[in-house]
Amino acid sequence: MHIQELILRLQRFWADRGCLIGQPYDLEKGAGTMNPLTFFGALGPKPWNVAYVEPSRRPADGRYGENPFRVYKHLQFQVILKPSPARVQELYIESLEAMGIDFSKHDLRFEEDNWESPTLGAWGVGWQVVLDGMEISQFTYFQQVGGLDCRPVSAELTYGIERICMFLGGYDNIFDLVHGEVKTDDGIFPVTYGQMRQREEFELSAYSFEHADIELHRTLFDAFEKEGWRLLKDHGHFLSAYEQALKMSHTFNVLDSRGAVSTTERPGVIKRVRDLASGCAKAFLEHEEGAALPVEAGKGGAK
Amino acid sequence: MSATRTFLLELHCEEIPARFLEPLHFEFSQALFKFFDRESILPVGATVSATGFVSDPLPDFYSPRKLAWRVKGLPTSQSDQTETQVGPPQRMCVDEAGKPTIQGLKFAEKWGVDFGTVRFEQPAGKKEPCAVVTLTKRGRPTVELLAEALPALVAGLHVPKAMRWGKSDFEFVRPIRNILCLFGEQVVPITVDGVAATDTTWGHRLFHRQHPEPVRIASPGGYEAALEAAGIVVSLDVRRARIAQQLEQLAAEAGGRVVADAELLDTLAEIVEFPRILRGDFPANFLELPKEVLVTSLREHQKSFCIENAMGELLPCFLTAANRPDDPEGFVKAGNEWVLKARLYDARFFFAEDRKHPLSDRLEKLKALTFQRELGSYHDKTGRVVALVKALATRLSGDDDHINRALEAARMAKCDLRTLMVGEFPELQGIMGGEYLRHEGAPAEVWMAVKEQYRPVGADDAIPSTPMGCLLSLCDKLDTVAGCFAVGLIPSGSKDPLALRRAGQGIVRILWEMGWELSPADLINTALAVVGARATRPQAETAEALLTFFRDRVAYQLELAGFAGSVRRSALAAGWTNLADLKTRCENLSLFSEDSRFASLAQSAKRIGNILKDEVPGDQFQAALLVEAAELDLLGHLHRVEAQHDLIVTLNNLAELADPLEAFFSSVMVKCEDQALRAARLSLLHRLRQAFLRVADFSLWQ
Repeated sequence: MHIQELILRLQRFWADRGCLIGQPYDLEKGAGTMNPLTFFGALGPKPWNVAYVEPSRRPADGRYGENPFRVYKHLQFQVILKPSPARVQELYIESLEAMGIDFSKHDLRFEEDNWESPTLGAWGVGWQVVLDGMEISQFTYFQQVGGLDCRPVSAELTYGIERICMFLGGYDNIFDLVHGEVKTDDGIFPVTYGQMRQREEFELSAYSFEHADIELHRTLFDAFEKEGWRLLKDHGHFLSAYEQALKMSHTFNVLDSRGAVSTTERPGVIKRVRDLASGCAKAFLEHEEGAALPVEAGKGGAK
Repeated sequence: MSATRTFLLELHCEEIPARFLEPLHFEFSQALFKFFDRESILPVGATVSATGFVSDPLPDFYSPRKLAWRVKGLPTSQSDQTETQVGPPQRMCVDEAGKPTIQGLKFAEKWGVDFGTVRFEQPAGKKEPCAVVTLTKRGRPTVELLAEALPALVAGLHVPKAMRWGKSDFEFVRPIRNILCLFGEQVVPITVDGVAATDTTWGHRLFHRQHPEPVRIASPGGYEAALEAAGIVVSLDVRRARIAQQLEQLAAEAGGRVVADAELLDTLAEIVEFPRILRGDFPANFLELPKEVLVTSLREHQKSFCIENAMGELLPCFLTAANRPDDPEGFVKAGNEWVLKARLYDARFFFAEDRKHPLSDRLEKLKALTFQRELGSYHDKTGRVVALVKALATRLSGDDDHINRALEAARMAKCDLRTLMVGEFPELQGIMGGEYLRHEGAPAEVWMAVKEQYRPVGADDAIPSTPMGCLLSLCDKLDTVAGCFAVGLIPSGSKDPLALRRAGQGIVRILWEMGWELSPADLINTALAVVGARATRPQAETAEALLTFFRDRVAYQLELAGFAGSVRRSALAAGWTNLADLKTRCENLSLFSEDSRFASLAQSAKRIGNILKDEVPGDQFQAALLVEAAELDLLGHLHRVEAQHDLIVTLNNLAELADPLEAFFSSVMVKCEDQALRAARLSLLHRLRQAFLRVADFSLWQ
């Protein structure tokens, strides 16, 4: 199946089940969880269902576009359901069926995998979902975000788009995946993932392993932190401050892949990101409570 | 005996992590029986001990989505209880006319009975007849007691990593989605977090793709069969046995045998509801990876078993469990093969990438890897281990080349901690260092020493196969133990987070099996000198704590070696600085452990101990003063023992001392009036005791 077809089917499926279809957030980030639609959406009492694609960057996973299974940037399809529905596992399985997976022929397991994001002060319990021995999704019940308890609890479903496509199509190389087809007057031209992304993988891997200026990134990290706290403390602005936390997080990842963060430094650096993100979460909730209105079905979501 | 029924409770949850299944099942069984006991409705034949131990374990009904308890022979109700209440004397309850007094009426009212049912009897201990009523407390039906107690018992389960879900504040291991609760054929009406119990449950997910209705369980006895028909084997033991049988059969069909891994077998049984083992293949060129890498990658990433041939070489195939009865189109096999290939591709990438630079390039990078806050980095640790190897190797070998190779092994030992492969598979530390050195063409004893530096990993594991490996392992562990003690990280009670006891046991095992004459006290001092200024506690204090620690390890080693209690106690008390000597003494003493003369010797040794307790023996033994036949006989024996150096002959001589000693004690008065003679006799006994203590402290021989 083409990548875009898989995404379209997932969007259709979740839209039909009462999810807003969101958009990726236009800042570098390591996972769909960091999108404010999830980070803030999972906090507070209001009902909130949203689904969106998130391009996610993991600088240390870069392989210069040479490894057929691992990439610097991949696509996550993220679903947040708050509160988590009683049939959430069944819904998830139905979404797989919507992708064309026939469970009379496949093996499905939910294996313990508790998720934690030390930079977001977030953790949850759940599973990695394993289809025929392959991890295709992460399934998490959020317990805390930004160091604050989630009440009610959200279910977070994260699908690894490329993996699922490779798996369903039996591809041995991620760059052979077909994103979609371009139809022109001259005919139909399938466009592969490699055509669209391989050069990008090469350059971004080279950047994060070799060319990124370490001193510049250290300076940026400090500057983003300062800016973030200024926005939060002086103005009570949690959204713009949160953007600074996202920038800190990505800057940290680049420094890490450059080997510029020692094991002993690491927890301290992560804590600096977490402190700012947690500060934003707290300010968001205080703001929400200030504007608190009774929650009724049919009136108002989380944001 | 009243009627009994079978009780069945099943909590049907979303997938429960494998590691929690058994503990949760066990804990709830205990809670259930304590409740039965408290309410006097224990099943027929069951008893509960004071510590809550249940005499009759329940069937191991648990699977990824189910925790179930079935208890047979539960009484249908409590027995009726009668109790007697004694009130005021008869004279105060009834007036002279035979009418009830106010006090009499009040007594009847207090117990809710008519005055007519009050009897007047003289209870034991009373001087006159008193008002008495007999009350019958009706036993309550078990189903009512269950309905009242179960929700709290479920909520009270201790869940190590509890979670909330949805809108509720209820916490459990994973969301509870269905409750089946039967007493006989009757549903026990309970509700936990909004889920009400019924007589139905759910089978395998795949089964319900075709059968949307829940499965009805007509009676507790038919539980397993009904579930198996719906695609779930609910008993862990049954699943494990089926998996083991299929593994064996499929490995044989592939022309090999399974690389055994009991833990992995348990895991597979815990993560599937319907066990089916599949064989998959991987490209044979991956066999160029070290065997340990393949076995670890297959186990950790794919929960798969490897197959090896009679020579112990791996075959290019694997066995894994699917959670369904069949693989109609081969998708499950193909999927697992696909994933494994990706994993092995990664492993091969790490293996190739790591070898682009010599292992020694990582030495500098160890500076950024903390071993322990006060003890510094792994680079610092490497420096200490090198120093220890140097100090000890020169005592064990005179061959400079050999010593230099040992130092090289010590320098390289921790470098693999900075390789990609160990980053991915921490359990391959040591093994990868050894493999990389082998590929670099390092001498065999060097790479083997590095590869085996963590052995013995546990009591079942062997010590390293080469003397150099043993030396490296010993020095590494010694530095860890001495270093941690020096900064106050000392194991106590059940707390030993750094596994120092295991490391200490490893040191003792190596000394014990290699027969090296390095005394623990000596090793401790050498290691503490190397730790030097990093210590945060006074050295003398640390040395003493370490000595006690090692004495305990040595005692445990004697136990592991299988020596009898009498041998262990007496030999250990006579000294343990030289483990080789201790071992020889224990082995020889064991030959006499059934010899009755030793029991008599033990009595005499105790007696000698008592006599000498408050005495300071003189400098000189004036043997010429001895006069009695028994003491002269004893003196002769003493001379023979003292002159003997062969341990077996000495032990025989000691055994022969039993009778002369008894004769001596029955006919000679040690503490006699004549001070000179008394001194000579005390000296004789002192010399005897010294002779015993060369071998064992027989006063502890019991």
